[in-house]
Amino acid sequence: MAVKLGFYFDQTLCTGCKACQIACKDKHDLPLGVNWRRVAEYGGGTWQITGDTFAPNIFANYMTMACNHCDDAVCADVCPTTAMHQREDGVVAVDDDLCVGCRYCEWACPYSAPQYNAETGRMSKCDLCTDFRGEGLDPACVAACPSRALDWGPIDELREKYGDVAAIAPLPDPSVTQPNLVITPHRSAEPVGAATGAINNPREV
Amino acid sequence: MFTDLSMTIFSIFAQMSVGAFIVLGVVQVLARTRGGRSAEEIDRLTDPATYAVGVTLVLGLAASIFHLGTPMNAINVLRHVDSSWLSREIAFGLGFAGLGFAFAAMQYFKWGSAQLRQVLAGLTALVGVGLVASMAMIYASLDAVPAWNTWVTPVQFAVTTLLLGSLAVGAAFMGTVMWRRRQMEQAGEEPATDERDLATITASLKGIALASIVLLGAAFVIIPLHLNELSQGGAAAVASAEVFSGAMFALRLALVFLGAGLLGFFVYRFASRTEVNPQPLAVVATVAFGLVFVGEFIGRSMFYESMTRIGM
Ligand code: SF4
Ligand code: SF4
Repeated sequence: MAVKLGFYFDQTLCTGCKACQIACKDKHDLPLGVNWRRVAEYGGGTWQITGDTFAPNIFANYMTMACNHCDDAVCADVCPTTAMHQREDGVVAVDDDLCVGCRYCEWACPYSAPQYNAETGRMSKCDLCTDFRGEGLDPACVAACPSRALDWGPIDELREKYGDVAAIAPLPDPSVTQPNLVITPHRSAEPVGAATGAINNPREV
Repeated sequence: MFTDLSMTIFSIFAQMSVGAFIVLGVVQVLARTRGGRSAEEIDRLTDPATYAVGVTLVLGLAASIFHLGTPMNAINVLRHVDSSWLSREIAFGLGFAGLGFAFAAMQYFKWGSAQLRQVLAGLTALVGVGLVASMAMIYASLDAVPAWNTWVTPVQFAVTTLLLGSLAVGAAFMGTVMWRRRQMEQAGEEPATDERDLATITASLKGIALASIVLLGAAFVIIPLHLNELSQGGAAAVASAEVFSGAMFALRLALVFLGAGLLGFFVYRFASRTEVNPQPLAVVATVAFGLVFVGEFIGRSMFYESMTRIGM
């Protein structure tokens, strides 16, 4: 198998500006409601009790998510038409000639990567900017991030450079789909399974 | 509410078709072995119901098309049978429809021997079970959706299949009886129903009433177990459980309870009498079916609404 591609996200650098989301939307001309990349605002908190004093102890961090071109791509497994498929380089993409617009992949993916496009009646999603990469450019989201929080490349190289953490809330347990994703967690990040916070902008993601 | 209307219609109608087909088979077997009726005599009773199953199934399959964004590509859904439960569902659905229509046509024209038709009916029922099973797996196999990813999904689908199937057959039998009596009336004759036919119907309805009460009991055990399971899951599981509350949920439970339980009880009482006029029984059987149908319909649409995924 050829090299597998993935994303890297440095959560400590992200300011939640959503430039990646907008750059993606612009690059692919996505209609209202279709967002291949989305940024979640994750936060929570407790009360810190000192004597008779209750002080709020809160936290917040950001999580940007497109598609992780997973090793165990459930979206492709469940797709009845084989429209959702994994290419040689691991990139998971939709074949418009085959897709019937049943939206089953949308139910299956715990990252909300497949985004239904009502205008075309088909599923759509991140293809890691195949055309840009062909021209030697970075994917639009990676290039747009003013904090340099995003990177992409062969997943082996990313893991060598940045480690292999991906189990960060509000993401699902990586065992579900084996995502090709590496995260440098924020200091307030909560591991999957010990999450106490919630997504504070659910309608945006 | 009713966000996935086409899926709700499709799944309810398809499951009701399979259930009714199975129940008709059971009636056939029991009427012959225990009731001592001949194949022709029972056919006269069950054939109209068999044709009704076909109509229901076609309606359901037609509704499923409206779920698709690009129906023109519909033929592609059979391409991934080796991996996708959705492909398998459609394959079983088409198989059930195809075999069912072959069976109905053979019944109508009395083609082939009675044994051959029985074998075909048995095969059709088996494929129907495959259809309901693959429907359940579509949802139960999704790790991302805790409300569906549980043993509850197949069990609940099975209960719906048999409950709606039984009550639909009961209503169809009584509809057939009443329709024939009206035809006699219109022809200026005294409406009458063959006594032995009435005995068979009465026996079937008793069985159906009993089955409904058992299935009702099962449904009312499954629901709290499901809610309990969800309450112990993660945030998505807890959030999805919220769907199963409020006035609509109460209405759904009340309708199924009234339909299957109370009316099942009346059917049993009525059917135990040897009435000359089958009209009250017809009303009771029809109302019971109607109530449970609406209750299950609301229940299924809540099932779709409970689709809350883990992750983001
Ligand atoms: S993130 Fe979702 S859409 Fe992308 S490959 Fe994984 S399962 Fe499929
Ligand atoms: S919407 Fe298209 S890509 Fe997604 S599962 Fe259905 S056919 Fe496959």
